[in-house]
Amino acid sequence: MLTNKPREVYPADLSLDTTAPKPIPVTNPRSRILRWVLTSGLIALVLAALFADTLTSGVGKAFLLQRFQTFVTIFLGIFIEAAPFLLAGSLVSGLIEVFLDQSLLERYLPKRALPAALAGAMLGMIFPVCECGVVPVARRLYEKGLPSSVGVAFLLAAPVVNPIVIASTYAAFGWGPMLWGRVIFSFLVATVIGLVFHLAKSQDILQPRVHIGHAHHQHEPTVKLGLSARLHQALNTAGDDFLDVARYLIMGSLLAATMQTLVPQNLLLAIGRGPIMSVLAMQVLAFVLSVCSTVDAFLALAFSGIFTTGSILTFLTFGPMVDIKSSLMFLGVFQRRVVFYLIVLPLLLTMLIGIFWNLNVGI
Amino acid sequence: MQTTKIQNAVKALLLIGLGLFFYSRLVNGTLFFYINQRFVGFTLVAVFGLILVGLSYRYERHEPTDDHDHNHEHHEHDHRLSWGSALLIALPIVLGIFVSPQPLGASALTNREINSGLNPLNTLGIARAASEKSSTEKNIMDWWKTFRTSPTANTELIGQKVDVIGFVYHEPNFGKDHFMVARFVVSCCVADASALGLAVQWPTTASLKDDQWVEIKGTWVGGQLAQWQFPVLAAQSVTPVEVPNQPYLYP
Repeated sequence: MLTNKPREVYPADLSLDTTAPKPIPVTNPRSRILRWVLTSGLIALVLAALFADTLTSGVGKAFLLQRFQTFVTIFLGIFIEAAPFLLAGSLVSGLIEVFLDQSLLERYLPKRALPAALAGAMLGMIFPVCECGVVPVARRLYEKGLPSSVGVAFLLAAPVVNPIVIASTYAAFGWGPMLWGRVIFSFLVATVIGLVFHLAKSQDILQPRVHIGHAHHQHEPTVKLGLSARLHQALNTAGDDFLDVARYLIMGSLLAATMQTLVPQNLLLAIGRGPIMSVLAMQVLAFVLSVCSTVDAFLALAFSGIFTTGSILTFLTFGPMVDIKSSLMFLGVFQRRVVFYLIVLPLLLTMLIGIFWNLNVGI
Repeated sequence: MQTTKIQNAVKALLLIGLGLFFYSRLVNGTLFFYINQRFVGFTLVAVFGLILVGLSYRYERHEPTDDHDHNHEHHEHDHRLSWGSALLIALPIVLGIFVSPQPLGASALTNREINSGLNPLNTLGIARAASEKSSTEKNIMDWWKTFRTSPTANTELIGQKVDVIGFVYHEPNFGKDHFMVARFVVSCCVADASALGLAVQWPTTASLKDDQWVEIKGTWVGGQLAQWQFPVLAAQSVTPVEVPNQPYLYP
């Protein structure tokens, strides 16, 4: 908890930056070329990494192909596993866009710092989504004028503090410290980080392409439209959101699959023995594996015999907030330095919790 | 308007394409190469969802109201999809078409350690009671659980009959007479796969190729390989078989 105090000055830093360049139109050819170059560069890098490793070890072409095959299988595995959840989130986002009145948010959401962050962390109980689905929903809520702190707390807490994930954690671990520890610590960490962003203005932390108050334009015509037309519009919005976030999901899956093809996993597990190292090892593992939060409890169960309790708890709280694919997806909502904080703050906080648990509660 | 039409067509194509891609994997059974059986329902729902959402673009331009057209254009402007993005989203389909589907195999073991019975470095710590199955019905994971729950497995199991299938993996530490028969265990999707293997004694090991799926019949004998002591499966027959419908085991 100590590490948070100095961080709270951060939003003040942000507000200095209101002169930052305003939205570059998406159609700008230069930005498109840049994106192209980055994308193909990423793919080239992935391929190069795959090839370099095998070429230097001097093994034949067949082996190289096998390894590429493994890469493709893991990539498609992550993508196919995540796609239904991303689609579900996009559909919720579409329905929010069409049916949720902006004034409703303004009326019912608390204004003061702590209640607002707490409310954000609880929103997951209303919108049960995992870490893929939460991204389009959070973005849509921001467009409806959700305050920064509420959105951040929602984004970080919702993948754990929701009925589906609580049920799956219960199925894996039953009643016990794993279940309530996971829920309570995720809730706490999300609230604290939400508070950190309390003073930040939405437009200072969000990507220029997320249009705050966007809903104003849509509000009037939407009301006039009939139910079927509104549903139709919701589907269209869902499609746009799915495609938009899918890009980040795919890049994240590519990265995760590359890491999985190249990084020796059991080396990591072998290093991670002691009360402190085990927590770090499980964090790296959670980051690299990028497994959906609705199912990661079963995976954690598999580790529970060999790893310290604190490290499993860290795996269960940190993994849903941050992993390779979700950090990539954050880039679709937040500016880059905000994404940096959204990775580092949960990392440090859950690390502290895990180590504290191991040293004071028991291994 | 022309570009909006193209945009909509591309978006619809991508969404429906992804839906059909998932559907094709579902129908030919190769979906099991990627995810745990118990999540197949989600994929089926996604197929319907993606096609439904994709089709919704088709009717958009038949909405004639001025109001809608106005806000529609505003909307499009925000969500324009560049060609690069479209290609990126098509990547799973492209890779799916050009790289023939294959379950994880021996090459995935180059950066994962295989769990062989009493090897202390295992990633699957569930020591549930060994199942009630008779010895020839046990698969690799069942045997492996038996090892975990019984510390004296090495002596207890000797003489029991075994009938398992798995893929061949030549463990570098093994000599010419031994190989591993392995399966991957998948909790969610292949991203979390961990391998389980049994040591097999077979004189013509060299003639077997990595990744060849085999059915092995034999009995347990006590054994010591490399530095570990653990049961070794003395094979009476090693028969090549097709890749099973569900190549992975689910814990």
